[in-house]
Amino acid sequence: MAINKQNPKAIEVLGLTKEFGQLVAVDDISFQVEKGEVFGFLGPNGAGKTTTIRILTGLTKPTKGKVKIFDYDIEKETIEAKKQMGIVPESSNIYDDLSAWENLIFTADLYQIEKNQAEKKAQELLKTFGLFNRKNDKAKSFSRGMKRRLAIAMGLINNPRLLFLDEPTSGLDVESSLIIKKIISSLSQRKITIFLTTHDIEEASRSCDRVAIINHGKIAAIDTPENLKRTIQSVQSIEAVFNKTVSWQEISSLEKFPFVNKIQKLGDKYKLFTDNPEKTLSVLWNFSLKNKLRITSLNTLGPNLEEVFIKLTKDK
Amino acid sequence: MSKNIIINLKAAWAITKKDIKIYYLKPGTLMFGVMFPLFMFLSFAIGRNLPALSLIPGLISLTVLFSASSIGPVAIPTERRVKTFERLLSAPISFYAIILGKALGGVLFSLFISLIALLAAWLFLGVTMASPFILFFALILASLCFSLLGIMFAMFPTENPGDIMMMLNFIRLPLMFISGIFIPVETLPLWAKLVSSFSPLTYANDLFRFGIEGKIHFSLTADLVVLLLSAGAFLFIGIRLDKKFRE
Repeated sequence: MAINKQNPKAIEVLGLTKEFGQLVAVDDISFQVEKGEVFGFLGPNGAGKTTTIRILTGLTKPTKGKVKIFDYDIEKETIEAKKQMGIVPESSNIYDDLSAWENLIFTADLYQIEKNQAEKKAQELLKTFGLFNRKNDKAKSFSRGMKRRLAIAMGLINNPRLLFLDEPTSGLDVESSLIIKKIISSLSQRKITIFLTTHDIEEASRSCDRVAIINHGKIAAIDTPENLKRTIQSVQSIEAVFNKTVSWQEISSLEKFPFVNKIQKLGDKYKLFTDNPEKTLSVLWNFSLKNKLRITSLNTLGPNLEEVFIKLTKDK
Repeated sequence: MSKNIIINLKAAWAITKKDIKIYYLKPGTLMFGVMFPLFMFLSFAIGRNLPALSLIPGLISLTVLFSASSIGPVAIPTERRVKTFERLLSAPISFYAIILGKALGGVLFSLFISLIALLAAWLFLGVTMASPFILFFALILASLCFSLLGIMFAMFPTENPGDIMMMLNFIRLPLMFISGIFIPVETLPLWAKLVSSFSPLTYANDLFRFGIEGKIHFSLTADLVVLLLSAGAFLFIGIRLDKKFRE
């Protein structure tokens, strides 16, 4: 993959490798993130996610390979590349002994934002994140969710074109989680590129335009969430509810068909896993007629991203 | 001055102001700063029939050494642990700005504490300064040198301030005894003179003696050059260490 000079991407990674002695933490990975895209970066612990982010944000130097942020080389034009980004690490790295206001203004000072502009932006962010009434309180008195909101606000103080969000909603209360999800959605509408790492696969599925799955330092898959789900058709399923209770002996007889992989009883529902939903529907219909049953509810379900993730990371 | 330098100086000053608010204005730190010279003075003076004037330069040397080099080595590993140091590293500023910002906090704290000690010496002991201007300049330079010494040690990649303080004290405590503070350099045997010539504290103490008593063992130029070179060396080694460990 060659780096395109004409139309710079938000992130361009080419042959990126990071070795720590004998350990290869990131093994020759390449990918691109388009401007305005919400890009999910998924992987189990120790897969190389953090090392990759540290290289992309200029905190660690790669052993080999190239990283460009809006066409700025992260190694040679580090300061310019950093100016384009906002970074929100997993641990809300705010200063507990400073107030919310002081935290924002200090961050603005680091990004050389003019005083009036910084104050205006800080005020706007505190309102957006529901922290305005607590702006003069020291951050150490904040809940975990409030600290996270403040950390994201600090990541946005410089109006970044690219925002790195590491596990933005992990372990948060419902209110904070909802606020953050809303903000992510509004940022993506404003065409801010978001590089999101998360363990919440459903969150990635909902928020991301594309997802990369990294395992053992290599990219296992990279595609849209829907395309990734389609790659493992064998975990498609049909969920049916009948008007009467069906004995397990009767329903399990359907397992004799080669395209019905497994049947599960979930409350009043029966879930039939299959790699051929069409044929399965047909045998299910015949089964209901034969047993004088009425199907009161029927759903065909694709694999969720979690199943894709488990399959891909296991296979590799 | 180029725009880049101004940007980095402004960022350094923002880091200094933040550190002053978070670390230096804490009651415990201020108490340490004020009590330290007092106890140092008592341990110097009690049982020794020496005029106050001859004790003050040594007292100021120790005050500067400890107050300038104590907070940076605590603040940096602590910030590394809570990941706020990464906030500085990921900002669009040079690493020199971060070091300068951190060092400046130590310099200002050391200046504040030494000036209090000098004021007390003037008020209660009637000590006057032979060259106040030289003394003030020496205080700034020595504070910068020892602040950078502390920060150089803080570049070891630990999140535990105790690890840094242990290493730092391994250097600071011997410096107290080989730098002509308790016994003037000119009265030391030749081997001890040689050893003391490797300590930047020797030259800081020499400058303070000149500023307070008007006496000097080396020369103004030698003292200033050695302190400047030492500060530069600590800065250089600190940056190399950070680079080595961060890679």
